[in-house]
Amino acid sequence: MPGYSEFYFNVDHGYLEGLVRGFKAGILTSADYINLAQCETLEDLKLHLQTTDYGNFLANETGPLTISTIDDKLKAKLLTEFHYFRNHAFEPLATFLNFITYSYMIDNVILLITGTLHQRPIAELVPKCHPLGSFEQMEAVSIASNPTELFNAILVDTPLAAFFQDCLSENDLDEMNIEIMRNKLYKASSCNITIILGVFQSVSEKESYLEAFYKFCEKQGGTTAEIMRPILEFEADRRAFIITINSFGTELSKDDREKLYPTCGKLHPEGLHLLANADDYEQVKCVADYYAEYKAVFEGVGSGTGEKTLEDAFFEHEVKLNVLAFNNQFHFGVFYAYVKLKEQECRNIVWIAECISQRHRTKINNYIPIF
Amino acid sequence: MGALFRSEEIGLAQLFLHSAAAYSCVSELGERGLLEFRDLNPKVSAFQRRFVGEVRRCEEMEKTFTFLQQELRGAGRVLGPCPESPRAPLAREALRVQEQSEQLAQELREVSHNRASLRGRLRELRQYLHVLREGQRFTSLPAPLGSPPRPRALSEHEPILDPSLHQHLDRKINFVAGVIHPWRVSAFERLLWRACRGYLVASFVEMPEPMEDPATGESITWVIFLISYWGEQIGQKIRKISDCFHCHVYPYPESEASRADTMSGLHSQIQDLSVVLEETEQYLAQVLDKVVLALPTWRVQIQKMKAIYLILNQCSFDVTEKCLIAEVWCPVRDLTQVQDALRQGSYKSGSSVECFVQRIPTSESPPTLIRTNKFTAGFQSIVDAYGVASYQEVNPAPYAIITFPFIFAIMFGDVGHGLLMFLFALWMVLYENSPSLQQASNEVRGTWCGARLGGVGPGLEVWDMAGGMGWAWWRGMGLVVWDGDSMGQGWWCGRGSVWGRGGGVGRGSHVCPHQIWLTFFEGRYLILLMGAFSIYTGFIYNECFSKATVIFPSAWSVATMANHSSWRWDSQPPCDPPRSLPALTPPRSAHSSDYLATHPSLTLDPNVTGVFQGPYPFGIDPIWSLATNHLNFLNSFKMKMSVVLGIVHMGFGVLLGVFNHVHFQQRHRLVLELLPEMVFLLALFGYLVFLIFYKWVKFSAADSLVAPSILIHFIDMFLFTSNAGNLPLYRGQVPVQTVLVALALASVPVLLLGTPLYLCCRRRASRTSRPAPVAAAEQEPLLEGQEAGNSVNATKEDVESGGPSPDAEHSDFAEIFMHQAIHTIEYCLGCVSNTASYLRLWALSLAHAQLSEVLWTMVMRNGFVRLSYAGGVVLVPVFAAFAVLTVAILLVMEGLSAFLHALRLHWVEFQNKFYVGAGYKLCPFAFAPDAWE
Repeated sequence: MPGYSEFYFNVDHGYLEGLVRGFKAGILTSADYINLAQCETLEDLKLHLQTTDYGNFLANETGPLTISTIDDKLKAKLLTEFHYFRNHAFEPLATFLNFITYSYMIDNVILLITGTLHQRPIAELVPKCHPLGSFEQMEAVSIASNPTELFNAILVDTPLAAFFQDCLSENDLDEMNIEIMRNKLYKASSCNITIILGVFQSVSEKESYLEAFYKFCEKQGGTTAEIMRPILEFEADRRAFIITINSFGTELSKDDREKLYPTCGKLHPEGLHLLANADDYEQVKCVADYYAEYKAVFEGVGSGTGEKTLEDAFFEHEVKLNVLAFNNQFHFGVFYAYVKLKEQECRNIVWIAECISQRHRTKINNYIPIF
Repeated sequence: MGALFRSEEIGLAQLFLHSAAAYSCVSELGERGLLEFRDLNPKVSAFQRRFVGEVRRCEEMEKTFTFLQQELRGAGRVLGPCPESPRAPLAREALRVQEQSEQLAQELREVSHNRASLRGRLRELRQYLHVLREGQRFTSLPAPLGSPPRPRALSEHEPILDPSLHQHLDRKINFVAGVIHPWRVSAFERLLWRACRGYLVASFVEMPEPMEDPATGESITWVIFLISYWGEQIGQKIRKISDCFHCHVYPYPESEASRADTMSGLHSQIQDLSVVLEETEQYLAQVLDKVVLALPTWRVQIQKMKAIYLILNQCSFDVTEKCLIAEVWCPVRDLTQVQDALRQGSYKSGSSVECFVQRIPTSESPPTLIRTNKFTAGFQSIVDAYGVASYQEVNPAPYAIITFPFIFAIMFGDVGHGLLMFLFALWMVLYENSPSLQQASNEVRGTWCGARLGGVGPGLEVWDMAGGMGWAWWRGMGLVVWDGDSMGQGWWCGRGSVWGRGGGVGRGSHVCPHQIWLTFFEGRYLILLMGAFSIYTGFIYNECFSKATVIFPSAWSVATMANHSSWRWDSQPPCDPPRSLPALTPPRSAHSSDYLATHPSLTLDPNVTGVFQGPYPFGIDPIWSLATNHLNFLNSFKMKMSVVLGIVHMGFGVLLGVFNHVHFQQRHRLVLELLPEMVFLLALFGYLVFLIFYKWVKFSAADSLVAPSILIHFIDMFLFTSNAGNLPLYRGQVPVQTVLVALALASVPVLLLGTPLYLCCRRRASRTSRPAPVAAAEQEPLLEGQEAGNSVNATKEDVESGGPSPDAEHSDFAEIFMHQAIHTIEYCLGCVSNTASYLRLWALSLAHAQLSEVLWTMVMRNGFVRLSYAGGVVLVPVFAAFAVLTVAILLVMEGLSAFLHALRLHWVEFQNKFYVGAGYKLCPFAFAPDAWE
């Protein structure tokens, strides 16, 4: 009965929806941020966070407070909440929540592969992974020496298998790309290329991931699809823009580039085609001009030091979309939006904390307020 | 009781605390719990306040305490409660506490670290020992190092490989051995197989004894694995994989002999380590003993210290920076006590300058303080759950002490049920000081406190995951409306604050047995009275478990009637009995059986002399319980009783308004509001009460057939008509009624326009006489307002005149008029609907009586089937069922429902006649003992 999901939504998911809305009320407001930005030391920051919903999540920290502990604790709190959701979720919400974790898992895999290629010890890399995306076989990623082995030995058991399978078997070109890059890497060991490799891989995997997620949401129908559509479309388009901008000055051909674009966004198909032919930033901006919301995003970007970067502008737009999700009832979008907003909040707090600890006051207001 | 009549006089005061003495002064005040401090720096954020350093130091100490407590819990020690209440520590003492606690924590940290590493070492040794022992089974086969994979591998590779190479390979079989967490075994095995393409043999076996998991501290059964493989490449891979899965890998000696050597070495090492570990444990226990001794006192002390600094953070400094100024709400009665506390505080700190308190005028409405004792607290909290009384308003609680149980009892009238309830409450009251009851209630109160601290203000929906959060959110969306008629929901929602005192509303919906128990315990005196009153009304209704009791002989004589009407042989035409005469089912007597067989129902006629010998001395005559028209009689009685009681109750509520108007110097409201309200109520509904009593007195059984109907008369009164079929009650009834209705109607415009017009006129007059309002002094910041002394009068006048400014006057008048219009409509409609609402007394008492009768006939009667020993055996389970159902349905369920309706009648019907309830409670700064749990 798609379209009538309101009737029985609360039977399965009502509790969790109520919960997530309760948690949402605890997201820091702009007044909180103003107070946080006035802090002189990290201890002040901690003291102020205690008056918010974070309570005394830092109370049991012995020793001096560092930014990484704050970051870890923030993430741990989000993780606890998310696990509570996940453990109490019924299908199809459970799958929906799994989809949220997949993106973090992909990021973690990429991080580990890149790190291993740089000969970094695995123990150093693991703490850098996002805890939402950790899985059992994660650390074993480092033992793989080529993509086939990576897939056949390690990822085949994880939920990510479906996405990687796509990018390994269907997109031969991508695999070739990876092989080329990897060969180059082994000979020249240029770190630049490694990063590009990471980007490509992540892009191609994310693409199929995004499309799968998009399809899943469409299948749910109703408000879920309505809410998630703009969010995921934006996510896809953002990737397309970023791939394009990052690919300038590398030897990625335009055809290859076009293959990397996710096709579930608003830019598909004309915009993606135009993007594929873009040669510099100005042309990308011209493409964005055809789309009202992206035009606004690109116009908000400044080139000066104190002004917003494109990344921040995208984040801001994302926050705006996610906040909208809370205006409707009986849908899963709130969970996605909550996780994303909370992640943004972590980024904001960490940014403020960095500014405080490095005495870099001029940029402290570059956080992105949520409410 | 005088304290309950209205809230106490509270004044705003300033404390001038010399900075050296401030700490000890606030400590003294906290011990006594007299004052509510106001935040003088609301705009300063938490970390920019003055004593933030000290607060942080307290938090540091608390962190240390938490660590100590965790260690204690880890060791299975329980921390006792603090024996006596230690005072807040002075600075030097606090320093000592900090030093000692940190030293202890350091010591403890070292020792437990030592112990942990020793344990870890021991665990590793044991694991190693097990690995070797279990490995023996796989490797010490009779064949020379013949490991299982060899045949298969050989058969696959023989054709390709050089035999000499094969020889070489054969010798290079290697082992990786270790232990792994049982959950990871399957993933590990799969990955090994996939990554190494089966060029290995892995065997897994569970360890015979469970061991501790260093990560979680739980005891688990580890799994030992032994992997045999060829070649260095694969070996490295296997080692990497086992690293990824957090396995403990141990070196596995190749030869049998070296394995045996290692094992014996391990044995002796384990023994040595155990001895060392034992000594460490002993030392640790000593340290923990010290902690157990000192920690409770320290915790209370530091918590007090932190509370004091948080209060001091709310004070402001004067210009010279030598003096802290605090602003407090203080009961006027306690001012001397405050002064005393301040004196002691400054004396203790050795300060030469005295601290002092001074009252200042204010235009703000002070908080409400009504002192209660354990008896009145329950009743007061019923009122507070509706709304805390406005400052100095008449408090309905003292009247509720009697009316609440009484109105409850009207709906719950049954001697038996009332007695059970009374005894239950009596048990709670008598044993209220017994330790087990106290402990139970303290436990719960602790959790309430936690809840209060956890959820603040609009953050109601947040935190506590188990709490009814979904519900709270729904409420936020406005789906659950607080409405007098959806009390079923409303009450459960508000339950926390009804009894729990200070529980958040959101938490009320999360009910655990402890909280239910606390609810009853806190209301024990209320239940006691409810039980006692129910016994009384039970006697009035003459019902005990639905059975009537014959205390006095019945006033009706069946024998006389039988003789008179010669039921035995004469046959009278059976007539329909009038309502107020008992109609009996015939008694079974032998001689009249013929007559009775044909007449199922007989009537007792009170007009026959000797049949009715005057009213029954107390309550309802027991003979009615035999009558078939029992219900008709009771309905009429209970309906009229409800209306009479309801109107009296409401009229009393209106009258209570007198005290408010007089106290607030609003005498015009006596005439312009109270009088029309009274006229309206009495002219219409007071007259109804009069009619009821008049008819009751005037018409007796003799003229009952021609008695007029009050209902018809009352309807006619509003329609200004008269009904020919309905005899007038008295002469001149129609003109009297017309006058009464006219009076009632005339009082409506007075009520509607009186107050607004009066205020308007007065304001105009005052504007012409004195153009400048005198409230200027109050507008200034409170800190400068030192020209105090006669502030009491100033504030009162200020409250009354409301600080008028010419611009706001017009909208002000509109607002007053709107307010009055709403009040008028509400009152006039309310009189009708509230009177009808009191009929719930009738409905509920009827429901209760019927339910208990059903329970008796359907359950208990089955036990009386046989009057033999067999019948006695049957009676036991039947009585058990009866008893359980009586308690569950009649006492608990019906009791709750009657309670609910009594609550509603008080909140809605009674209190809206005079009670505003827009105040806020005085919450004094006090070191309450239960806050430290």
